[in-house]
Amino acid sequence: MAGSHGDERAWIRGAQRGSESDLESLFRHHWPRAYRAAYLVVHDAAAAEDIAQEAFLAAVRSLDRFDRRRPFGPWLHRIVVNRAIDWSRARALRREVGEEALVSVAAGDRPENPHPQTLASALAELSPEHRAVIVLRHLLEYTPGEIAGLLGLPRGTVNSRLRRGLDELAQQVEEDVR
Amino acid sequence: MSWREPAPGESEAGERSWRVVREAFDERIPAPRPRNWRPLVAVAVAAAILAAAFTPPGQAVLGSLRDVVKGEENAKPALFSLPSPRSRLLVNSSQGAWVVQSDGSKRLLEGYRDASWSPRGLYLIAVRGHELRALEPNGDVHWSIGRAGLDDPRWSSEGTGDERIAYLARRTLRVIGGDGRGDRALARDVTRVPPAWRPRTHVVAYVDGNGRIVVRSADSGAVQWTASVRQRPAALEWSGDGRYLLARSASSLTIFSSTGRQRLEPLAQGAAPVVDAAFRPLSHGIAFVQRAAGRSVLWFYPQLLPDATAARRVFAGAGSFEAVAWSPDARWLALTWKSADQWLFIRSAAVRKVIPVSGIEEAFGPNARIAGWCCP
Repeated sequence: MAGSHGDERAWIRGAQRGSESDLESLFRHHWPRAYRAAYLVVHDAAAAEDIAQEAFLAAVRSLDRFDRRRPFGPWLHRIVVNRAIDWSRARALRREVGEEALVSVAAGDRPENPHPQTLASALAELSPEHRAVIVLRHLLEYTPGEIAGLLGLPRGTVNSRLRRGLDELAQQVEEDVR
Repeated sequence: MSWREPAPGESEAGERSWRVVREAFDERIPAPRPRNWRPLVAVAVAAAILAAAFTPPGQAVLGSLRDVVKGEENAKPALFSLPSPRSRLLVNSSQGAWVVQSDGSKRLLEGYRDASWSPRGLYLIAVRGHELRALEPNGDVHWSIGRAGLDDPRWSSEGTGDERIAYLARRTLRVIGGDGRGDRALARDVTRVPPAWRPRTHVVAYVDGNGRIVVRSADSGAVQWTASVRQRPAALEWSGDGRYLLARSASSLTIFSSTGRQRLEPLAQGAAPVVDAAFRPLSHGIAFVQRAAGRSVLWFYPQLLPDATAARRVFAGAGSFEAVAWSPDARWLALTWKSADQWLFIRSAAVRKVIPVSGIEEAFGPNARIAGWCCP
């Protein structure tokens, strides 16, 4: 997949000048990981679509003010992951459906879910904040220091969440996930 | 662990989202380029607040923020109307009793307390000073009777014009006719728990001085049955068809059959405190509120079965939920979120819609509590 930092800067510059094709390149380059990150935190395809889409809409709204010297990905992922955490926490606070319904929705996802089921279901067992740091580390491949910056957390907290989250995942999946 | 595979729906969602993003891009108005990082700062602040909430102490902080500041977002600033048409709310507060019509208009019956509806909502029974008064929702008093230590009057749900009113006068349970005649003591040395009439009968349940539940005919005085529960009951309520009696205690619920011979205790010992519970009209479902560790949860038992009384979580939030009430058509739940100064009107126990209303204390005065959501 193309998409060096130079490409990205060019796409942003083009989009800022009104080029739809540059915006599309930017979108298609970043969509998969943005959507995947949201999905792995919220475990709900519709919510993941809303979250990732809203992050791109925020990008469009802020496009003219965006500093091209900064990488676009971390900015986008910060929005996506924080909104995904927020959504998960809100769902925990306000159940929109009963537990039984949630179970049936999760079961319905299985046939078309190419993610290893053990990973998806094991991640779902973690808290949103643990899911988030694991997704940022292993899907989006940020360093713990970068994650700390993205989430505004002390690096030690990120490390401990990673360690604890991966330990829980390992127990769930029963294989080495690191 | 592989992170490379697409997530479910990724491609289709991408195509849909691209169309939305492209439209937004086409419609945007390019702005001049002064550097402005406020959006990023806002995101960072939001991240910091969320981060603070991740640790247990931080969670407590966020909880208290939600308590005091937020409640549900997008709350209506006042109660503009009731979601259930042609219904009326009765609200007891430190200012008095409020009657709220479905269009949101409301009337204060100043100085009244412990008000409750008559069976068809034509009258109220309430206490003012040392008088028990039957009055119309517009405040016109039909009759009154003076007694010392008045509390918790409740109108029987006979609905035929031959109603009774049970009330407490100090530690005596008394009964009086709906027309204000025939006042008499039914039981002495009772606990201060509002009496509960079995629907369409003159049978009343109350809690005696030993904490036992007593079910008794108000006409003959005959005791039909008594029962003890693990914890002293704090509230009693019959199901709408009179088949079950619900006793709420500090941290338990007990549901009795109408004869008292069978009982169901769906909450295990050590459960979190139960602050309110209410039968769903026209069914045997029960909504109830638990509160612990700075959080509250509204639950719903859709059915009462010995081995299948499973609770469904309806709504949870930080702070204190205080009371739950069903609309008369059983389609809405009203939840009092005291610490957020909000009421939530929740469309069914499956939460199809939530209408939050804020500014409750300003509208009704301190300690506002829904005392009844009545009939058209």
